[in-house]
Amino acid sequence: MLEFKLFSPISPNVVSTLIIVAILALVFTIAGLKIKKLNPAEAPKGFLFLCVLLVDFFINFLKGYIKGKRLDFFGPYLFTLILFLAVANTSALFGLTPPLANIGVAMSFSIITFIMIKIAEFKFQGVKNKMIGLLGPVKPLAPLMLPINLIGEVSTPFSMGLRLFVNLMSGVVITAMVFAIVGFIGSLLAGVLLHVIFDIFFGLIQAFVFFMLSTVNLSMASES
Amino acid sequence: MFGQMIHSVTRFASEYNQFFASGMAYLGAGIAVIAGLGPGIGQGFAAGKAAEAVGRQPEAQSKILVTTLVTQAVAETTGLYALLVALLLIGK
Repeated sequence: MLEFKLFSPISPNVVSTLIIVAILALVFTIAGLKIKKLNPAEAPKGFLFLCVLLVDFFINFLKGYIKGKRLDFFGPYLFTLILFLAVANTSALFGLTPPLANIGVAMSFSIITFIMIKIAEFKFQGVKNKMIGLLGPVKPLAPLMLPINLIGEVSTPFSMGLRLFVNLMSGVVITAMVFAIVGFIGSLLAGVLLHVIFDIFFGLIQAFVFFMLSTVNLSMASES
Repeated sequence: MFGQMIHSVTRFASEYNQFFASGMAYLGAGIAVIAGLGPGIGQGFAAGKAAEAVGRQPEAQSKILVTTLVTQAVAETTGLYALLVALLLIGK
């Protein structure tokens, strides 16, 4: 569960991550190439219409949280994040191991978001303002506030990654426990309920929550 | 009196074996999951307030839903840590 070996054959979580990345890259490269050739005077049809609708909905949703120029900077990253997480968390329906049930995969996502937050702070706030902000508003209390603020900076990726990991892992563990108890015939019946709850409902909610927390953190970091 | 107590404790400790240890680990896992009380109360409180807010302002429902989901997920974190500790103890 939490084992980490440096030189071991790749875990099933990483295998399913690679499969999902390959499929998503293929699908969206094709969609992007087709959209480039699209005639703007005509309405798109079928799959392309769905893509356009999705991006439009996403941009309108994000406009309430991140404004103007920053949306162009963060939008692609956040869209990639939610698409991958939504597909990865429901991937157990296709017989793959959920990638986020491995702490390595979940923590790497939170570290990527952490790096994005730092980039946003340095780009939109400036290094000097950020350093002054770490000291707190009251100058005499700065030696007290500095360690607290530094711990707060570091704890963000930990809490985000662990939340994602434990939610998905608890789904996997509880499903495996119930399947072990009820046997083969019972698991056919119980699987309907368990996969709907743990893969579709919790998976999509957790993908959305991770995306929302990234958005809120990024918009807070990029405000000067 | 005190020496007798120490003697009985050491005799108790000398009877430790792996079954005792794994039994205590399961007991600890059960106790750890009691932490689920806190997130339950917190999430219920957030959900109740959200329902109140929707009743007061039905037109702002989508924004309230998003805010509720995020705040509930943040409140859930402590319970998830307890679950992680319990699962680690079970796997011991």
